[in-house]
Amino acid sequence: MGSELGCRVASLLEDEPWVGSLAGIDVDPPRYRLRRARFHRIAPGDHDRTVEVVTGFNPHVVVHVSVWEPYSRASPRRAAEFTDAAAMSILGAAAECRALESIVVRSGIEVYGRARGTVTRPDEQVPTNPTSGFGRALERIEATATSIGERVGVSVGSLRLAPVLGPHVPSPLGRLLRMPAVPFSVLANPPFAVVHQADAATALVAAARARLDRPVNVVGPGAITITQATRRGRRVPVPLVGPEWAAVRQFAYVTGTPVPDHVQELLHRGRLADGGRAAELLGFTPRTSTREVIDLLYRWPSVIHVPASQPAPGWEAISA
Amino acid sequence: MSVIRLPLPSIVSDDVDDWGRDAGVVKRLGWFAGLRWSVHVGGTEHLPRRGALIVVNTRRLALAPVLAALAIGARTERPVRFVGRTDVAPLGPAMQRLGALLAIPHEVAGALRAGELVVLGAAHRLDNASCGPIDHDLVGAAVAARVPLIPAATISTPTSRSARVELGVPLRAGRRRRGPLAEVELADLARQRIDAMLDELGGTLTGTPLDWFAR
Repeated sequence: MGSELGCRVASLLEDEPWVGSLAGIDVDPPRYRLRRARFHRIAPGDHDRTVEVVTGFNPHVVVHVSVWEPYSRASPRRAAEFTDAAAMSILGAAAECRALESIVVRSGIEVYGRARGTVTRPDEQVPTNPTSGFGRALERIEATATSIGERVGVSVGSLRLAPVLGPHVPSPLGRLLRMPAVPFSVLANPPFAVVHQADAATALVAAARARLDRPVNVVGPGAITITQATRRGRRVPVPLVGPEWAAVRQFAYVTGTPVPDHVQELLHRGRLADGGRAAELLGFTPRTSTREVIDLLYRWPSVIHVPASQPAPGWEAISA
Repeated sequence: MSVIRLPLPSIVSDDVDDWGRDAGVVKRLGWFAGLRWSVHVGGTEHLPRRGALIVVNTRRLALAPVLAALAIGARTERPVRFVGRTDVAPLGPAMQRLGALLAIPHEVAGALRAGELVVLGAAHRLDNASCGPIDHDLVGAAVAARVPLIPAATISTPTSRSARVELGVPLRAGRRRRGPLAEVELADLARQRIDAMLDELGGTLTGTPLDWFAR
């Protein structure tokens, strides 16, 4: 609930008529004012306190959004630790609740992997074969949730999100694309798809409402390549062939734009997925296309200057 | 942060679709392909509005699936994809821009379910006289996606610009099968139908005087 995505999901759930009471757990406090939700500040690995709060609340539906993308807010090693610890403590605590009916977890299309010979645009029936650390962490979340669902007999739905971009969303891909010069693989320059944070949040709420019981891809319509993205953002594309990637990654790390392995995989091999089943399973399809998200990415200001004489804009206004 | 703003070059396309096909690149390649081939396309009335798997015979080094995809796409003004790209850069991504798909049943089935037209080449032959075996695993993608399979005969020669792509009537399996025999029998039926269409067309086979002799 402390992340941008988690806070937005909580805000949308507050407006749902089927939601009676709402509680959230995170290590950071919510970013917006929530009217009905109760927030509990608990560290990812604090199992005892998590079990105490979750069993005390005894939820019918658990929406697990607690995923740390490498180099978004933590180093890859710490991100994997936090993600695993949060998944185990929250989903494990949820399994102790008698009222539990459904679990919805946030996953990503990184679980399909991009090994040679893999499907370019996988749908949900394609077996997962992650080839990056983030993909493996997401696969572990799905496995944990599925195992718990089988043991306690509740439905488990996984939302495999395309890379989520949005204002205030800490994303290594978004950070890289906003750099004045953006490296790309001149031999491949593959297409990729993204999803807007508002669509991702709406999909998570729709999954909770529908009691989703299977994986579903949530992908913004269309695709784009790095060179096309840089052209839309009027950035300088820097063509790279191979050996210089290591040096560029080090340079990017030093300049505050670290490139984790799943983003480098995207730059070399692309990342697409078939999101056709979202409409059928969730009754929702992402409204913002990949190209529009990229356009918005370049339109988002780094700092919003608000004169003291004017009221501060709401989050809906600055997140459009 | 200071940002260098570049002018938008109008000659470069700014759009790829969900599978990475770049319509601008395809259009430009179509213009160059027109210098090499003059293709007559027939039977487009058999194409459904939704997806379909078009199976064509292929002559060695004729690039028949590419030729057929470009020609049918130009005629119908629909994006037409073809099966058979490598997954190694730079050739694989370049073919992806043209609409090529990997020869994986899941990949083909995904495109067919999304309502795309996909061209699949049979195994190579030295001439246009007959159709080679058809990969029934890929035909199975059409069965799984519940889209029609359309046989098509392609005729081209190394020595002339004239080429022809003739689409046939959509095929239906003779018997209802629950198992993999459905695609095996459908692939065999498609091969027989393409052979019959090649006989009916009676076009040039090699582009040399050898064609004057009876087969």
